[in-house]
Amino acid sequence: MKKYIGLVPVLCLLLCGCDRLPAAREMGDMALLRTMGVDQAEAGVAVTGSTGPRAKGLQGEEEASLVLAADHTSLSGACLAMQGLSDSYVFFGYVDQLLLGEELAAEGVRPVLDYFARDVELGLGAQLWLIRGASAREAVSSGGEKGTDARLSTLQTDGEMGMANLPRTAGEVYTDLLERGAAFAPALTPAGEEDTSLTERGYGVLRDFQLAGWLEGEAARGLELLAGSPSPDMLTHPLGENQVSARITGVHTRPSLEFQGEEPVGLSLKCRAAVRLEEYQAPLGAREREQLRDLLEGQLRARLEAALTQLQSWRADCAGLGARAGMARPARWQEIQDSWPEWFSRLPVDITVQVDLT
Amino acid sequence: MVSKRGQDGPHPRREPRIPGELSLKGLEEVFRDCADFNKRHMFLHGDRDRGVTVCYIDGMARTERLNDYVLKPLAQNPVLASAPREELFSLLEQGAVYAQQATRETRLDPVALALVNGSCALFLDGRDDALVVPVATEEKRSIGQPENEPALKGAQDSFVESVRTNTSLVRRRLRAPELRVREQIVGRQSLTPVDVVYLEGIADPETVERVERRLEEIDIDGVEAAGNIEEYLVDGARSAFPLMAYTQRPDRFCQGLLEGRVGLLADGIPLGWLLPGTIDQFFKTGQDRAYHWMVASALSLVRYFCALVTLLVPGLYIALVTFHPEAIPPKLALSIVAAKQEVPFSTIFEVLVMLLAFEVIQEAGLRLPGPIGATVSILGGLVVGNAAVEAHIVSPAVLIAVAIAGVAGYTMPSQDLGNALRLWRFLFAILASLGGLFGLALGCAGLIYHLAGLDSFGTPYLAPFTTGTKVHRGHPSLFRLPLPAMKWRDGAARTQNRRNQR
Repeated sequence: MKKYIGLVPVLCLLLCGCDRLPAAREMGDMALLRTMGVDQAEAGVAVTGSTGPRAKGLQGEEEASLVLAADHTSLSGACLAMQGLSDSYVFFGYVDQLLLGEELAAEGVRPVLDYFARDVELGLGAQLWLIRGASAREAVSSGGEKGTDARLSTLQTDGEMGMANLPRTAGEVYTDLLERGAAFAPALTPAGEEDTSLTERGYGVLRDFQLAGWLEGEAARGLELLAGSPSPDMLTHPLGENQVSARITGVHTRPSLEFQGEEPVGLSLKCRAAVRLEEYQAPLGAREREQLRDLLEGQLRARLEAALTQLQSWRADCAGLGARAGMARPARWQEIQDSWPEWFSRLPVDITVQVDLT
Repeated sequence: MVSKRGQDGPHPRREPRIPGELSLKGLEEVFRDCADFNKRHMFLHGDRDRGVTVCYIDGMARTERLNDYVLKPLAQNPVLASAPREELFSLLEQGAVYAQQATRETRLDPVALALVNGSCALFLDGRDDALVVPVATEEKRSIGQPENEPALKGAQDSFVESVRTNTSLVRRRLRAPELRVREQIVGRQSLTPVDVVYLEGIADPETVERVERRLEEIDIDGVEAAGNIEEYLVDGARSAFPLMAYTQRPDRFCQGLLEGRVGLLADGIPLGWLLPGTIDQFFKTGQDRAYHWMVASALSLVRYFCALVTLLVPGLYIALVTFHPEAIPPKLALSIVAAKQEVPFSTIFEVLVMLLAFEVIQEAGLRLPGPIGATVSILGGLVVGNAAVEAHIVSPAVLIAVAIAGVAGYTMPSQDLGNALRLWRFLFAILASLGGLFGLALGCAGLIYHLAGLDSFGTPYLAPFTTGTKVHRGHPSLFRLPLPAMKWRDGAARTQNRRNQR
């Protein structure tokens, strides 16, 4: 047996394919792309990549961010063309922010997400943002020498902490689109005259890999409630002369389907929100607290209704209400799953909101 | 003419070493041209008709003992002058000289060896037999502290070069009469006593027999270094990993005997070996049983972790930076890219050169006398650590990776294990240079295969982590349970009596 042990590594090499060993590449001559924007273009697609601020040498002297742009008939062609534009080897393995232009989103995001899913270096772990009212190239370039990477990372972290729009990864959006046919992604727009920076503009809703529409204001906050994420804004209500500000710290929305025979006849939503009093001019009595609770419940119900009205009109259940409700009745859900967008658009929704005030 | 084959062939061991019947003349012939061989002719109680010749080797025999307990009675005891001539020898043998032992010898070989070991031989005029009386000197290094295995909480004595002192240190701790000390002489020229020490009824008799058989088979000139014992006792030439655990500490040696292992002590080597050696033995320290079990367990886990760190970190760094950069966190990657931009060498070259530089500095520090060695280490550390980075010869991340690997290696309680890990670290770095994580994984598989193929006196090297001996181990090897819960002796040692407490 021992005589043949030398053959094991040889066999391993043969099995994995001798020419498929990973290729060595020095990191010193790499340009690490952090942000990538994809737009619709005449040639096909327009790809823009940014490294974000770079450091050089032991002291880490800052260098301007490297922005590369290429138009091509295909995404892979554009990425390859970007290699030729840089002195360094352009490495896509660190792209963690993906920006999609409005035109491309309207045309269809599937080719981009497919490419990200299949590429060796890229992956679906990147955060996905939809650019509203501008191209992704403009958005990527808006950061100037410092790039947009830091701004996007801050938005992502804030969103995870409930202080900004709910962030979504490309993988989450891709999965939702494949499984539910609809998904939502946070929307950004470049704002400002001289120092342009990316600001939040609600959410973009995708249906069948195409942009169905935008949710803004109360409707966007309603979508966050549907998704079970606390809204990043303050709820302010005057109680007589007492101005009270409160903040949602936790939300749980439970959808359920009502059936009559084989067919669903209604969708009910039970939304329970934990709200914390942040600021008031005078301590609240029991009656005032009750009054505030009623006001908050009314406000949250209005938000949910605004979001649901829009989503039903687009036939886009991007919050996955049907799938979540179907878990309680899997057999019934299986029967209506394929036609769920139709059912979703016309089912009456009964909304119950309960606020726990602390 | 002796054929070439005859010159190169094995030399048969000659038994007895010095053939022939004993005589004073024969003994003088054996020790001809030996300046330290002495003989003194004297008369018993001044009787010129009754002469005796005392032979001894200067420096091996203790002068005071020789004078007080042998020469003085010979010169002053009136019985020796008046007793019948034919009874003189038996008088001397039975108490006329003051010694714990007096043996009559008729053959040359044992007398010559006894003289070398510090005895003196008494030849009565007209007789060829001799009375051998031990008057050996006990000059030796005093028992000191175990410098390589310092004890913060425990015994402070250490083995010395005298095997008899070492056996006494063991017997003082294990007073059970079942403690067996079986001696063999190893080395054609050195004639070194090597003692096999074990507790009868606990140690595996088969292992004892294996050890004794391997000792008998050793046919070398001398036992001057630990390797003379280790490399002949185990088939370890194909492995850098140690197969015999050793200790300077008698308390740890005794603990090994209590666990059912077989001990080995060699004269001239201030160490004790414990057999069979399994891999967990080299991760244990003498302090493991002294500390609280939680602390000892945590430290044990740290040592195992450090073994992985010292083995894998340089290779892992090469694999990640050169082949799989996407696996590095972005901020770390950016700082690596920034630092690497001005370094002219490839990462693989950087790591291998730094590993080599680390070994060179370490070796230079060890070989030079203490104060100079420390200076070289500091100077080398500064040159490699600071100047090389500032001169853009190496990047700081490489320096950190190599330093972490190096320092982690120093946590190994066994220097031999640490050395083996150092060798394999180079191999892993080269494999990672060839195939990235794939190469590293292949190397790890190779290491496990290699370790799984080793055995020490019939016990698989990886026995603590396998079921190789088909004996239930009783307690884990990675960490230590509270001592009252460790009711079983080490299963890997195949002890006769497994239970060690009520």
